[in-house]
Amino acid sequence: MEIIFFIIELLQLPAIILGLIALAGLLLLRKPANQVVTGTFKTVLGMLIIGVGIGAIIDALIPIQNMFEAGIPVGPEGAGLETFVTFDEAVVGAVQDANVAGVGGIIAYTLLFGFLFHLVLARITPFRYVYLTGHMIWIHAGAFAILFHSFDIPDVAAVAAASIATGAYFTLAPALAQPVMRKITGNDEIAFGHGQTLLNMLGAGVGKLIGNPEKTTEEIEVKEGWNFFRDIAISTSIVMLAVAAFAAVLAVIQVGIGGFQEEISNGQNWLVFALLRGVGFVAGMLVLLYGVRMLIAEIVPAFKGIAEKVIPGAKPALDVPVIFPFAPNALLIGLIVGVIAQIVAMVALGLIGWPVPLPSMIVAFFASGAGAIFGNATGGRRGAVAGGFLWGFVGWFMISFAFKFQVFGDLTEMGAAGLAFTVPDAIVPGILIWLVARLFGIA
Amino acid sequence: MRIAALCGMGFGTSMMLKLAVEDVLAAEGIKGEVLSWDVGSFRSQQVDVVVASSDMRRQLEGAEVPVALIDSVVNKDEIREKVLAAIREHQAEGG
Repeated sequence: MEIIFFIIELLQLPAIILGLIALAGLLLLRKPANQVVTGTFKTVLGMLIIGVGIGAIIDALIPIQNMFEAGIPVGPEGAGLETFVTFDEAVVGAVQDANVAGVGGIIAYTLLFGFLFHLVLARITPFRYVYLTGHMIWIHAGAFAILFHSFDIPDVAAVAAASIATGAYFTLAPALAQPVMRKITGNDEIAFGHGQTLLNMLGAGVGKLIGNPEKTTEEIEVKEGWNFFRDIAISTSIVMLAVAAFAAVLAVIQVGIGGFQEEISNGQNWLVFALLRGVGFVAGMLVLLYGVRMLIAEIVPAFKGIAEKVIPGAKPALDVPVIFPFAPNALLIGLIVGVIAQIVAMVALGLIGWPVPLPSMIVAFFASGAGAIFGNATGGRRGAVAGGFLWGFVGWFMISFAFKFQVFGDLTEMGAAGLAFTVPDAIVPGILIWLVARLFGIA
Repeated sequence: MRIAALCGMGFGTSMMLKLAVEDVLAAEGIKGEVLSWDVGSFRSQQVDVVVASSDMRRQLEGAEVPVALIDSVVNKDEIREKVLAAIREHQAEGG
């Protein structure tokens, strides 16, 4: 009997389920035995490494939040400043790793069935796109699985509903972006496969209203010095050091150096404590991303191989950097205005007492940068500025809304304390589904 | 032969490049391993050739190994041509 308990419990581990999905894919692609074995192991290890990265991230974030709480006195309504980090991979990784009430398994099954449903839709509808961005497949499967799991419905129904939502998203989002993608790339070969679609399309829409695509960003000179911000490890370090130092100074103003070292840093020098938390976050982020790379390295080729067999000639929907070579100036403009937009939104959110997402260089570069490229395609320079700014500004309100109202359920209880989703393609449908669920009294 | 396919995060575009380069190696009968890696830390890896999207031009200036810069990551002909040129360059250097 003991062996049966062992197997049952093993098969409930998210890492093992994901490993089995990779195993099936590798067998389907008829890979040699050694690659099948190593590929399966690496997928399992990837999920476990993600868990290690999450631990380091949360260890850094909790003290930063403590410093903000100590530094910003409680207001008249009893609410101080609540800060959090918006980072999709961290949310899904943390929730899957903690696996509270088996939600990790629900995410893994949604990943598999959501992608298969996507292939069915791409095969039978006119939207012949294959969504191949591995981490976004995982993130959206995770977001919809977490969303439906948080409702008062059986697990099987949650997997089914989340798979339908995920598959529909993978099929429809590339179709929605394709008119602008044709303008950006000048051909119809590549589709857009990233969770930014809705906010990028907002940028493209506003760009069309206020700008002129003839006045493109690519004819102006942009200082190349900003390029060093493209190294995510460095730019995130700088930003997080600044955030942690700022929080520490606020706390010291309130409680004094003695109070800080007594209550918050356990005797360590206050500034050393704060700076270590800032770079500690980045160290955790890099470990997490390394794990994500290992997790999807085996699953993506398998999904791609299956898609090529099922839907020959479908357009690949690819990760956002495929559009970067088409408008590098717009990308840098988006990065700069994106940082400004985040700071403006943070101040505005703080003033109205909503939770404040800390600045994210990943979002400023990959998302505001892409928003600017979309805006440039329809509205030139003005469109680029609008696209980059709106992504940060509207995005920060949207992210704060989902966090404040717990659209995806109680993420803290699920293991993702102080973390929240970023991608509008999960948050906007998530809010709509959540509102409907509330109407029916199951959310 | 070890080839690094690069992008900003090390698992999106670089994964697509990795799969395309693996196809090239298989078709040409070249033995090799392709890794997808992030541009910020690929220097920690021992590789013979680097493949990346052309918007990474500036970050790859001064790389010690031949670099293939790809304009369109879905253009198989472009990838084959540039990767094979970089491999030949590597072999000419006595690698």
